[in-house]
Amino acid sequence: MSALQVSYLLVLVPALAAVATLALRRWQGPATLVSVGAALVSLLLAVVGLVVAPVRGTDLVPLRGSYAVGGLDLPLQLGAGPATAAVAAVVALVAAAVLVFTRWYLAADDRLAVFAATVSLFTAAMMLVVHSRDLVLTVVGWEVMGWCSYLLIGHWSRKESARRAALKAFLVTRVADIGFVLGVVGLCAGAGSTGLDTVVAAWTSDEAPGSPALRSTLLVLVVIGVLGKSAQFPFQDWLPDAMEGPTPASALIHAATMVAAGTVVLAQLFEVLVLADGARWVLGLATAVTMVGAAVLALGQSDLKRLLAWSTVSQVAIMLSALATTTRDVGPDPALFHLWSHAIFKSLLFLTIGWLSVIAGSTLASALRGAGHGHPLARVAWLFGLLALAGAPFVVGGLSKEHVVVTAYEGAASAGGPGVVVLAALLVTVVLTAAYAVRAHLVVSAPVPNSPIPPLGPDTPGPNGGIGEKSTGHAGMPSAPVLASLAVLTVLTVVGGLVLLTGLFDVHGASVWWMVLTTLLIVIGGGLAWLARGSGDPRDQFVRTPRHRALADSGFGADTAYRALVARPVLGLARVVAFLDREVVDGYVRGAAASAGVAGWLAERGHRRESPSAGLGLLALGLLVAAGTAVLTWR
Amino acid sequence: MALILMLLVPGAVGLWLVTGGRGLDAHTARVVALVAATVGGLAAVVAAAMRPVVDRAWIPDLGVRWHFAIDGISAPLVVLTAVIGVLVVAHAWVEQPWTDTHLGLPRGSAATYLGALLLVETGALAAFAARDAVLFFIAFEVVLVPMWVLISRYGDPKSAAARADASARFILYTAVGSTLMLVGILLLVGQAGTADLDALPAAAGALGQGPQTLIAVLLTLGLAVKVPVFPLHTWLPAAHTTAPTAGSVLLAAVLLKLGTYGLVRLPLANVPDGFARIAPGLAIAGVVGILWGGLICLVERDLKRLIAFSSVAHMGFVVLGLASGSATGLQAALIGNIAHGVISALLFVIVGGLKHRWGSVDLAVVRPALREVSPRLGFALILGLAAGLGLPGLAGFWGEFLALVAAWEPAHHEGVLRTCAVIAAVGAALAAAYALRVARIVWVGDAVPDAATDDPVAGALDRIDTRTPDTRGVELAVLAVLVAAVVTIGVVPHTVLSVTAAAAEALVGGGR
Repeated sequence: MSALQVSYLLVLVPALAAVATLALRRWQGPATLVSVGAALVSLLLAVVGLVVAPVRGTDLVPLRGSYAVGGLDLPLQLGAGPATAAVAAVVALVAAAVLVFTRWYLAADDRLAVFAATVSLFTAAMMLVVHSRDLVLTVVGWEVMGWCSYLLIGHWSRKESARRAALKAFLVTRVADIGFVLGVVGLCAGAGSTGLDTVVAAWTSDEAPGSPALRSTLLVLVVIGVLGKSAQFPFQDWLPDAMEGPTPASALIHAATMVAAGTVVLAQLFEVLVLADGARWVLGLATAVTMVGAAVLALGQSDLKRLLAWSTVSQVAIMLSALATTTRDVGPDPALFHLWSHAIFKSLLFLTIGWLSVIAGSTLASALRGAGHGHPLARVAWLFGLLALAGAPFVVGGLSKEHVVVTAYEGAASAGGPGVVVLAALLVTVVLTAAYAVRAHLVVSAPVPNSPIPPLGPDTPGPNGGIGEKSTGHAGMPSAPVLASLAVLTVLTVVGGLVLLTGLFDVHGASVWWMVLTTLLIVIGGGLAWLARGSGDPRDQFVRTPRHRALADSGFGADTAYRALVARPVLGLARVVAFLDREVVDGYVRGAAASAGVAGWLAERGHRRESPSAGLGLLALGLLVAAGTAVLTWR
Repeated sequence: MALILMLLVPGAVGLWLVTGGRGLDAHTARVVALVAATVGGLAAVVAAAMRPVVDRAWIPDLGVRWHFAIDGISAPLVVLTAVIGVLVVAHAWVEQPWTDTHLGLPRGSAATYLGALLLVETGALAAFAARDAVLFFIAFEVVLVPMWVLISRYGDPKSAAARADASARFILYTAVGSTLMLVGILLLVGQAGTADLDALPAAAGALGQGPQTLIAVLLTLGLAVKVPVFPLHTWLPAAHTTAPTAGSVLLAAVLLKLGTYGLVRLPLANVPDGFARIAPGLAIAGVVGILWGGLICLVERDLKRLIAFSSVAHMGFVVLGLASGSATGLQAALIGNIAHGVISALLFVIVGGLKHRWGSVDLAVVRPALREVSPRLGFALILGLAAGLGLPGLAGFWGEFLALVAAWEPAHHEGVLRTCAVIAAVGAALAAAYALRVARIVWVGDAVPDAATDDPVAGALDRIDTRTPDTRGVELAVLAVLVAAVVTIGVVPHTVLSVTAAAAEALVGGGR
């Protein structure tokens, strides 16, 4: 089986599984079995893909005639490369783990099959983006993922907060997608083709179809779309709200799809991106602000699931910052490597907290206190996941973060681009990440087992009153397949860095000095959180007043800003337009009708009197009209 | 042979139903009409595949010929009309406007209703197949009268005044447009010396800049009413809100297509230079329509009016594609046209069904969520909304994306059209906002309105089941066909694009 066939199958299998699962939705059990089976087949295919992956530098693209629409070529091709194969493998792994977990977690849900079908479709869309060698296919996968995220976040559609979160997620990303679509349209129109290689070749050649300024503008537009999908500043606020979705959906969205897709797309466009300084600056500054801000917010969350959400925002910023700072020699692979490791440990963390929330009945930190007791695997999984998140040396997250730091340093050293800013932000983020990871660990492993009904202080609930997890109606022990998948993810979190030995990711070696420095920073951050732990929630040492808590839980009030700056003005404008349509545009129509009525009345009166003068007047009018027409058409 | 069958069978049966067969009982009339629509539809599909030609002298003094043929541009539209024609007749088993006797007003018979449906279909098929400018105009006008009957007699039973207003508005608005178009056609035919659409482009190519522009303005203005292009759209929401479901479907899926088809066939093909001169204005009107329709949809309370305004927005993309003047743009307009026909037909069948069930589709009234009480109807609705917001993999995406590409790299007026592309992309985000607004109000939510939760659960469920029964039988079949079409065009756009490719290339001279 060639790598190319694998890439087509990896897109097709989950897509067909989605259709089949939806068709079988009446029979929940068999339907979900179909999707789980397809996910396992995909995983197997992805492993085969890893084995047959082409060597570095020789991307496979099929040679096939392309369709043309007018002057625009639409090759609509998929391709395969070494890094592609690795990313596809991790996507397949996370999707399979999520589906296995879903079968247990949502066993009592009446729309389990629909959920599984959406997860499969989501996976197919991500696979399409990963393997796409055509920007139209990228847009297709990109938008389908957005739609699936809407369905997954709003899965519990009987809950108002879930409906609102789903709407917000889709609208925020769709607004950013204005930029993405325009950027892609501009790039494709300039190249006369939507094929990725043609586009990259056209825009990097000396006779580029547009000026460097236009190229930079188009890339900035693409970057804006990426910032939206990846929940980066200023679009960050949809992601924490998306925690309203069931935990498996969060695991999928955060770990391997949706938020990570931007990294994949920018890696595909890397050759053009390095030439577009404007886009790199926008990306660098946005990610620098985001990684620090999100880490601060993570530290102050009263809900551990939202803490994980903010940690995703921060980690994706780290991935994207690697793309903003990397040089042409280093290439995009440090970012993709961080994607790989983040996918593994973040899916582990989310699935573990899904389990813990079933035990504790909530994801609020106050409820989860000591939830790890009696469940050693959950505690181990949580510990290793957090170690990787904090970037401890040698676990998978630590290795990939080292590469990003070194990349940023090289970018800063070789001047040009936002390297210095990003490097500074990275170092601050390392400290903060270690601190909130320690905090998350302390909560779960606290010695006091929580009381069955979690006491909610007056100021503890988040903006949505905490995320109430649905009671799944079974004791807190997951089924064997779930435990197995958690074990696999835990092992991979520890040894996943070995992927570097395969050479699939083209990354340079990390530097020992940087590793020592970041380890020191981690110890400082973790140590501060440890010292601050006191007797209660360690957060209390950082966020003391209720006002600060409210600020942290509302993400610095971004939601209010969205409403005040976008939603309300647009709705106001809409009301004005509706008024204009009714009273002005339609007004002249009614006016015409009224004047016709008046004219009819006048004419009728004229006829009744049968006065010769009126008849003469009408005749004169008719002559005038005839003469006017003749003059106008006289040529 | 196929061409004659396609026009003769529905035409003759339709005429007979509105005249001699008026007294036919509803059941027989439905069967007769369904057979006629099916035979006509099959003939149309065969004709679209075989491409036969009918050419007879008709009014020799004027050089007007009885000339029908189908080419790549009209073939998808002919097939669309044929399918929609069968579906609207089948829909008469679901919704029977002739039985509504609200306020005791006299309504027409079933046979007249079905005859009018068939006549609209015939007129549209004739217009799409006409290869003679005058013949096209006549076929174009034939559609108006039965449509007027559908709106004024079989429309919303609640208000006779609304029916009168909507139908009068429809007929007067389009008649004014038609008059302008007729003047344009006569001017064109007079100046070029032939009415044959095959020979016209060559003959009209010799015209000077002035006459070309004048003809283009007249034709475009006249056809823009039908499309409708902002600011000539105010007849559409009224007509859609009042018309029976089948009427709304025909209006959106067939009549609006006559407008865009006319724009391609008359000004774009015959007076390309004149059309290019007015293209920036047309593009601006198109994108203003996109924003205008999208914004109104954010606050509109009546769901049927909302879908109508979303039509204005979608047709804005089609017009933008046409205005770009490139082959890509023309292809975008043609596939966008077909996609809008299928999507709006789907949405109007659903919304019409909801209006039938609920009595009104006021979004301010809290109703049980479709996802909970009638999942099949809910699925069709959410799919239609997703297609409407241009989700890739469904029909709406290709037309919008290609129109943006075409407007970014147009054949002329690059500055204006690029700006229009940017605005149109913003309009696409508005489409997401209003589609999800509808989804949030109608699709998701609680099974029972909050006010009704006091009732015992079983009693409440019983009551709701009688209020919003899920779709089944004929309605389900109609929805299934439309859903299948939306997905097919979205996943395999080449089914449409490959048919129109050659003709589109020929029309704009092959280059971009």
